Amino acid sequence: MSGPALRIRGLRKAFPKVVAVAGVDLEVARGEVFGLLGPNGAGKTTTLEMIEGLTEPDAGEIEILGQTWTRNGQAIRARIGVQLQSTSLFNKIKVREALDLYGSYYPKARPVDELLDLVQLQDKADAYHVTLSGGQQQRLALALALVNDPELVFLDEPTTGLDPQARRSLWDIVRRMQSEGRTILLTTHYMDEAEALCDRLAIMDHGQVISAGTPASLIAQLAIPSVVELTFEGAAPDPAAFSTRLGEPVERRGDLWEIPTRDPKALLPRLLETAELAAVPYQQVHVRRATLEDVFLHQTGRSLRD
Amino acid sequence: MVKMVWRQFVMEWKLYTRDKGAMFWTFAFPVVMLLGFGFIFRGGGGPKLGVVYVEPAVSSPRDAALRKAMDEVQLHVMPLPAAEAEARWARGETAAEVIPTADGYRLRLNSYLMAQGGPAAGLVNQAWLLAQARLSGGPEPQRIPMSVESPGGRKASNYAAFLLPGLLGLNLLSIGLFSVGMVNVSYREKGKFRRLAVTPLPKWVFLLGQVLQRVTISLAQAVVLIAVGWGVFGIRNEGSYFDLTLVMILGTACFMSFGFALSSLAETAESYAAIANVFFFPLMLLSGVYFTLDSAPHWLQHAVGLLPLAPFLTTLRAVFNDGATLAGHGAALVLVGAWAAAAFVLAVRRFRWT
Repeated sequence: MSGPALRIRGLRKAFPKVVAVAGVDLEVARGEVFGLLGPNGAGKTTTLEMIEGLTEPDAGEIEILGQTWTRNGQAIRARIGVQLQSTSLFNKIKVREALDLYGSYYPKARPVDELLDLVQLQDKADAYHVTLSGGQQQRLALALALVNDPELVFLDEPTTGLDPQARRSLWDIVRRMQSEGRTILLTTHYMDEAEALCDRLAIMDHGQVISAGTPASLIAQLAIPSVVELTFEGAAPDPAAFSTRLGEPVERRGDLWEIPTRDPKALLPRLLETAELAAVPYQQVHVRRATLEDVFLHQTGRSLRD
Repeated sequence: MVKMVWRQFVMEWKLYTRDKGAMFWTFAFPVVMLLGFGFIFRGGGGPKLGVVYVEPAVSSPRDAALRKAMDEVQLHVMPLPAAEAEARWARGETAAEVIPTADGYRLRLNSYLMAQGGPAAGLVNQAWLLAQARLSGGPEPQRIPMSVESPGGRKASNYAAFLLPGLLGLNLLSIGLFSVGMVNVSYREKGKFRRLAVTPLPKWVFLLGQVLQRVTISLAQAVVLIAVGWGVFGIRNEGSYFDLTLVMILGTACFMSFGFALSSLAETAESYAAIANVFFFPLMLLSGVYFTLDSAPHWLQHAVGLLPLAPFLTTLRAVFNDGATLAGHGAALVLVGAWAAAAFVLAVRRFRWT
C-alpha cells in the first residue's frame, strides 16, 4: 500500500447564501488520526461530506485510497466507514439488528459480536435504538462506521453533546481503531479532543485551512508559549486602560483577562504591581501553557466556542 | 439483489409491527370505522329522526291523533313538560320541537341543526296531515309504495356495504400520503437517507423493499376489512376477485406515487403534514368515502370527479358491491391511471435523497 489515504486539492463548495468551503488542500497519511478543528460554520462538515461523496464539490479533486468518486464510487463506499454528525436510525431497531442490517450492505462484514465488544455494547445488543443513552447511541454509530472493516474512517464531531465520561470512552475507541491500523479523519470543535487524539490537525475558519501541523508544532508556531490569567468574580472589567498602563495586550474573555507572554517570569512582578496600583479587583492569578484554543484565538481573533 | 430486497422488506415489516400506533391506524381504525358506522346506520336510512313534543296541559283527541301518526311515520317522539322542553332547547340539544298552541301547533327548528330538524319537520307535517284526515273522518290516506335497492341492482346492500369500499380507498390514500410520503420526508430530514448513501447499498433496493412492504400492508388491510365485513355484516365481493385485485393494484400504484411525488415538495415533516392534509381531507370528505355528494353543487361534483379518489371508489364499488365488470368503467380507470402515471413521473424526477 502506497500513497496517502486521502488527498484533496482546491476543494470548493458554495451554497446559495454562503461559501462553505473556499479552497481546501489536505493530505492524510495512512494510519494517522487527522483532525479538522474549527468553530461551528467553519466548513468542516461540508468538507467532510464532499469527501464522503454526499455533497458534490463545485471544484477540486478528492482522491480516497487512490480512487476517485467519479470512477470508483462503489469501491470507495466499501472501503470507508462513516459516522455522520447525527446518525438517525429507526427508533425500534435493535442494536444487533442494526449492525446486521448495515453489515449486509457490504461485500464483507465484521462479526457483530466483535463490534459489540469493541464499543462495549454487548449488554445492549437486544435493546431498541431509541432506549440508548446519547453516549451509547454515539458508540453504536461508531460500530456502524466499522461494520465493513474500513481502511479509512470519517467521524463528524463524534463527542458533541456527550458528558465528559462518555467522551473519554469514545476517545478510547478511536485510539483502538487507530491501533487496528485504520486511518481516521475527524472533525471537532473541542481543542482538548484534538490535542488528545490527533497526530496532525488542520484548523479551519471561514471555509479555509488557516494552519496545519502537529498539535505541538501549531502551539510552538504561536511563539507565545504562555498565558497569564487574572480571574475576576463575575464578568471581567474592560481591560483597555490597564493594557495601556501595562504596555502589553490584554484580552478579556468572560470572567478573566488573558495576557499572552513569552516570558511569564519577567511579566508577573510587573503585572502584579500594576494591578495593585490600579486597584484591579482580581481574585486569582494563573500561568498556563498556550493551547490550541490560543492558536485559534490568535489567528482568527475569535474563540472556538463562539 | 433479490436477497437484499428481501432483507429490507423483512426489516420494514419487523419495524412496522413494533410500532403499535401505526398498527392501530392501519388495521384497527378502519375496522372500528366499519363496525361503528355500519351499526349506527344499520337500518339503511340513518338513525331515527327525533322531535321534542311539548306536552299540553290537557291532552285533546287532536293531540292523541297527532302522537299516534308521528309514531306511524317513524319519528322518535320525546314528550316533555313545557319547562323541561324549554331548558333542553336553551342547552342547544333540540333540533325540532312541536309546541301546541290555542289553534293548532307550532314547529320550532334549531337553525344550527337543520340537517336533522328539516327532515324531522317534514315528518311532523306528514303526521299532522294524516291526523287531520282521520279526525275529519275521511278515507285513510294512501302511501306511495317504496323499495330499497343498490344502484347496481345486484341486491339491496346496507350502508356498511357502501362504506367498505370507501374505507379500502381511504386506506390506500392514507398509506400513500403518510406511510410513504411522510415517512420518506422524515427519513430525508433526519438523515437516514444520508446514512444509507454512504454505504454501497443501491438506493433502489431500499425503496423497493419499502414499496413492497407497503403493498403487502394494504393487501393485508384489505383482507382484514373484507373479512370483518363478511363476518359481521355479511358483505360479499359481488364481482370477480381478479377485477377487484386489478382495481386495488391500480389504486395502490396511484396513491403511493402520489405520496412519493408530494414528499419532494416539503423540506420538513411538519411542512409535509400541512401539504398532505391539504390533499387528504378534501379527498376524504368529497370523494364519496362516507357519503355521496349528490346534494353538493354540480361544479364541485365535477371537480371531485377529476381527482383520483372519486373515480377509483366508483369503480371499486361497481365491482365489489354490484358485480360489474371493468369494461363499463374505462373512463374512470383511465383517469386513475393518468393520475398514477403523472404522479409516478413527478416522483421519479423530483425525488430527493438529501
